Amino acid sequence: MNEVLSGLYQGFGVALDPMNLIYVIFGCFSGTLIGALPGIGPINGVAILLPIAYSLGLPPESALILLAGIYYGAEYGGRVSSILLNVPGDAGAVFTTLDGNPMAKKGEAGRALSLSAIASFVGGTIAVILMSLFGPLLASVAIHFNPSDYVALMVFAFTCLASLVGKNPVKTLLGAIIGLMIASIGIDANTGVARFTFGIPDILAGIDFLVIVIGLFGMGELITLVEHQITGRLKALPVGKSFVSMKDLAVVKWTILRCSMIGFFIGVLPGTGASVASAVAYGTEKRIAGKSGATFGTGDIRGLAAPEAANNSSAGGAMVPMLTLGIPGSGTTAILLGALLLFNVTPGPLMFQQRPEIAWGLIASMYIGNLALLVINLPLVGFFARLLTIPQKYLTPLIAVLAFMGVYSVVSNPFDLYMVIGLGFFGWLLRKMGFSLAPVILGVVLGGLFEDNLRRALSISGGDWMVLLESGRSIVIYILTVLILVLPPLYSRIKSRKAAKDTVPAE
Amino acid sequence: MADRIFGCIALVIAIGYGYIAFTIIEAPFQYDPLGPETWPQILSVAAALCCLYIIIRPDGDGFKVLSKTLVRIGVLIVLLSAYAYLYEPLGFILSTALFCLVLSRILGASILQAVLFGAASGGIGYLLCAVLLDLNLPQGVIIKLLRGLS
Repeated sequence: MNEVLSGLYQGFGVALDPMNLIYVIFGCFSGTLIGALPGIGPINGVAILLPIAYSLGLPPESALILLAGIYYGAEYGGRVSSILLNVPGDAGAVFTTLDGNPMAKKGEAGRALSLSAIASFVGGTIAVILMSLFGPLLASVAIHFNPSDYVALMVFAFTCLASLVGKNPVKTLLGAIIGLMIASIGIDANTGVARFTFGIPDILAGIDFLVIVIGLFGMGELITLVEHQITGRLKALPVGKSFVSMKDLAVVKWTILRCSMIGFFIGVLPGTGASVASAVAYGTEKRIAGKSGATFGTGDIRGLAAPEAANNSSAGGAMVPMLTLGIPGSGTTAILLGALLLFNVTPGPLMFQQRPEIAWGLIASMYIGNLALLVINLPLVGFFARLLTIPQKYLTPLIAVLAFMGVYSVVSNPFDLYMVIGLGFFGWLLRKMGFSLAPVILGVVLGGLFEDNLRRALSISGGDWMVLLESGRSIVIYILTVLILVLPPLYSRIKSRKAAKDTVPAE
Repeated sequence: MADRIFGCIALVIAIGYGYIAFTIIEAPFQYDPLGPETWPQILSVAAALCCLYIIIRPDGDGFKVLSKTLVRIGVLIVLLSAYAYLYEPLGFILSTALFCLVLSRILGASILQAVLFGAASGGIGYLLCAVLLDLNLPQGVIIKLLRGLS
């Protein structure tokens, strides 16, 4: 506890530095801005703005604070297009549209937006509090992890991903393997042997992480936008004058608290982020509401508050494994992890001791960011809503301009511009084929770490593969892995059998 | 069907990747039990298994793209490639202005709108990012010309 308080003290010292304070607020603002643009989710927003933040030449803690602000802001901004346009920016926002959009149709858009802002704020704040409590604890456990434990953790992370994310587990797994394969391109650091470079000098050092991120997410998004252009104009609903009341808050207070907890813990699981969290939270609340839950989906404020609280709290939860283990909890945190690596900061248990200004500075900045977002969002919601009316014909070219700018300002190699285009098409194709891109980016980020730890573990044992099963910790992690693999299908089978039983007497 | 085609292509890639991993990659000397080839070998086997599964049991979600949409995407990719090709020689301002002009025109802006938008995004974009934020962007002909005049 003492450690937490002194850490927070140090962290606020960093975060309250006037420049860093400006970065938090600027990050939150621009994040909300880009998140509010129709069709652009947090992950695309962070991907597009990452290289620009990188090439500003900031110290690592400031840059990370800026990026985390963008991440948080984009999660906030996403709800604007979900509620007013019925267009979710990413998978995590789908459940916000279910009750948010009907409310807006009833002319209660203002109430929906302000309520979801408060739910997001509470969810985010609870997540940060839990994070400051559990983060150092997890780090102090993780510090004893040896390479084979890390291998077990990676296996766990990828299993969580395959089992919980996406419709088809095999496709998710293949996506992750594609990511790992991309990461294996370039010179092997241990032996100096070039792998899969085909004699192209531009990729000897591997494909730059920024290029992959901008290609898959920025360019891929651009192609998707152009693809959907045909479907006609979107019409944003007016915000109106309605506002959240104390009575509303009294109705949803337990919903928000419960869903914040759910969101946090699902966010902590490696690989599962906002999309799973908001789905589980929505389902749980609907079940708890029982008979009165019949109004879910028609503009129930509980159905709006639940996914929003879970969404934002999972964003905080996903930071925990990223900071303490170096294993990101979601696609977006995978990008943040890649950003840390760009700054030569290796996240992991040692970060809390070696670079406390970054670890705690980031945590403290999240307290401030949350507050800033609430303050920015409540009065400025009308302004953000107006962004939705930016015509696609201007928005689409600007995404390409931002993406090129980002790539060129960091790598300054025209070859990478073509690479980005190619990767963008590849990302679009994958999405079209029903793959989700988060596993791919997770594979890219974790590829090096996974391989290094495997090789290190086998070096320690002299080539005996049984070393992977030697420590008690790895065995516990493998047992958890099996549970994650077995439980969800078992659960859905029991549920469907129960449902079948329930419907039989009714007929 | 689309799943099967995709699975087959991915399988060919996985086999090619595996072929390289199993035959070509080799360290001249090494001290560790695992060399640079083992990890790609594991990946290629795992990838091939996933592809086989997708080929045997496809999702059934059809790959629905209208040919009209494909043309649009093709045009977009040609435009982007041209933008990339001209990025350094023409410089940020001109290439961006041209790209924004053409793309916004294709997406339905009137000629006047497209010209204004192109000029604005090239000019304001450069001022904002290269001058204000000090990002490294290709200067190209316009800036060099201005430098030469002053």
